[in-house]
Amino acid sequence: MIFLPISAALAPLLGTVAGLLTARARLAGLLTIAGGAICLVLSATTAAVVMAGQPIESVGSLVYVDGLGAFFALTIAVVILLSSLGSLSYLAVEQRSGALSPRRVRVYFAVFGFFATGMMASVETANLGLLFILVEAATLASVVLVPIEGRTSGLEAGWRYVVVSSMGITMALAGTLFVFYAATGLPGDPQDHLAWAFLVRHASSLSPVSLRLGFLLAVVGYGTKVGLVPMHTWLPDAHSEAPSPASAMLSGALLNVGMYAIIRFIAIANGRLGPAYASHVLLVFGFLSVLVGALFMVRRRDFKRLFAYSSVEHMGIIAIGLGFGGLLGVYGALLHALNHSVGKTLLFLTGGSVVLAYGTRRSDRIGGVLTSLPVTGATLLLGSLAILGSPPFGLFISEFTIVRAGLAAADPTLVGVFLLLLVVIFLGFFRTTSGMALGPAEPRVHSPYLGALERWTAHAPVVLGLAALLLLGLWVPGWLNALLLRSVELVR
Amino acid sequence: MEHLSVASPAGIVLSLDAVLILLLALACLGSKLFDRYLTYYGLQSVLLAVAAGTAAFVEKDPALWALAGLTLVLKGIAIPEAARRLLVRRLDLKRDVATIVGPSTSLILGAILAGFAYLVIGPQHLAHGLISASIIPISTAVILIGALAMVVRRHMVAQLLGWLIMENGVFLGGITLTASFPFIVEAGIFFDVVAGFLIMLAMTTGLAESLIPLSDRRRREPT
Repeated sequence: MIFLPISAALAPLLGTVAGLLTARARLAGLLTIAGGAICLVLSATTAAVVMAGQPIESVGSLVYVDGLGAFFALTIAVVILLSSLGSLSYLAVEQRSGALSPRRVRVYFAVFGFFATGMMASVETANLGLLFILVEAATLASVVLVPIEGRTSGLEAGWRYVVVSSMGITMALAGTLFVFYAATGLPGDPQDHLAWAFLVRHASSLSPVSLRLGFLLAVVGYGTKVGLVPMHTWLPDAHSEAPSPASAMLSGALLNVGMYAIIRFIAIANGRLGPAYASHVLLVFGFLSVLVGALFMVRRRDFKRLFAYSSVEHMGIIAIGLGFGGLLGVYGALLHALNHSVGKTLLFLTGGSVVLAYGTRRSDRIGGVLTSLPVTGATLLLGSLAILGSPPFGLFISEFTIVRAGLAAADPTLVGVFLLLLVVIFLGFFRTTSGMALGPAEPRVHSPYLGALERWTAHAPVVLGLAALLLLGLWVPGWLNALLLRSVELVR
Repeated sequence: MEHLSVASPAGIVLSLDAVLILLLALACLGSKLFDRYLTYYGLQSVLLAVAAGTAAFVEKDPALWALAGLTLVLKGIAIPEAARRLLVRRLDLKRDVATIVGPSTSLILGAILAGFAYLVIGPQHLAHGLISASIIPISTAVILIGALAMVVRRHMVAQLLGWLIMENGVFLGGITLTASFPFIVEAGIFFDVVAGFLIMLAMTTGLAESLIPLSDRRRREPT
């Protein structure tokens, strides 16, 4: 069974091959989409196999997929497929307009596949050292995508991204070392001491001093990847400067990979230090992130930066859910991770169409999207409502679950503050995006896409994503519920 | 490996080596010349290779020998040399002036961080008389000093060097704690560092080139 997760992780490399073979965005895009589709099918099969029986495990736990890993692999695969659809149309337009040279198109697709593979592989290993290597490799690949449109501001954003996240992830490596050290003296092959499955089983005999230090370093380190405040400084720059489909991958998938790593460390720490310790750490980071996200979302002119700050906020919400803990808290946090991935991917892809049509990211220069580009305008409005947690979309359910967890576990004033911040965010965010979507149409603006292929690949992922969010808001399917419950068991 | 005694010959070599690595990190923090940064980093990496070699000798592990060799060739020679040719000489970098605080203040902060590392990961928390008790606080101090260098310096090349020093700190801890680390993990970390260096190198060059027209324009303007 081990070939299933391995081939799921390797499937997106089809895009890399495509990028090496051809510089034509349409052809390379089609191959990348094929890779993404295979990846999603194989991830779903992997999840089904894991749910039907035991975790998939190789010798030495280098490959290891349990419920939680399968769940995150599935969310990442969904984002990869949606973004690769969006990549085709976005890059085809940019190539036609001359904004991207053929060489840059090649680099984009080659790196896109590598980036996707790195993320898929990250959630399919039990080895904490390998987890670090894969997350770092995926990050380094994603760094290449940020400045690909050739602006100096993009290079600067890419530089800040690579420096801050390398620094953070080095902290995570130090944390990994301390957790490994906490396991010295445990029975078994020392090679196993890096496997979190082993560490969770033997958590009660880990040394608490180095475990506490290791946990903190890991949360700060992987928290830098997740964009938890105050380690978020690189995120708005990188996510707004990258081409929109790459922004979707960064926000929708890579942030989740960082969160996944933190969740694994929580599972280890809870076994020895008790749930209160990790809970306090996460609540502090979570509330800070939502607060700073809220403050920076009010009157933000660059709408891609607005989306990026919204990612900071949502990662904060996930951290708060994990911090509230319990069945409801963890369940809500995981469901929110899935909902946010889909929602943010569709928003960034919609934003990509807007950028291509209007040639600017400044929201005060954009108006009447709904009239000029009806599909894009509608998805912009509905996508904004969805990401802000309005019913009947999925994010409403997951945020509601987290609020219920908070009322059950924590001080009601804490929940009150949380809700207040969400209201501020709603006003700040929706004011900007509704201003873009409504208003008088600009006569010179027309759809940037030529031909059925470009139109379909631009609109399909957005409409599909919106439909998925609507579905998740009305009903969590039985298999997803089972997968989530299995995952929650692994964390608590 | 972490159960090696400090008093054994290999333990003495490793402890001395680690102290020198810490001193070189501080020297780099106290310097203002780009050329010196690279020299100190190269020397530090050579000492790191010695540490890995010592560990390989104790463990009689060919994989560790390979790692020591790689460290020596890539981190000790190739990375400093590439940075010197492609960054320092080509961009004509001499004195680093883009710092938030001066070298002496940086040194004091660095010393405070080293003390902090000892307090937090004090040897009292680790088993007595073992090599890990003497090296882990040092490697933590090196990590913190590298991070400090990244924070107080604004120049890209200086930040890059700060990150490389941080990585050396992690590697020093890694060698001591984890001679039992699976080799694939150690090698993977190593190649991530090299890839990171190459990407940062490319970005620094790209940014420097995109800024050149601007400075040319400034030069031509009458002042």
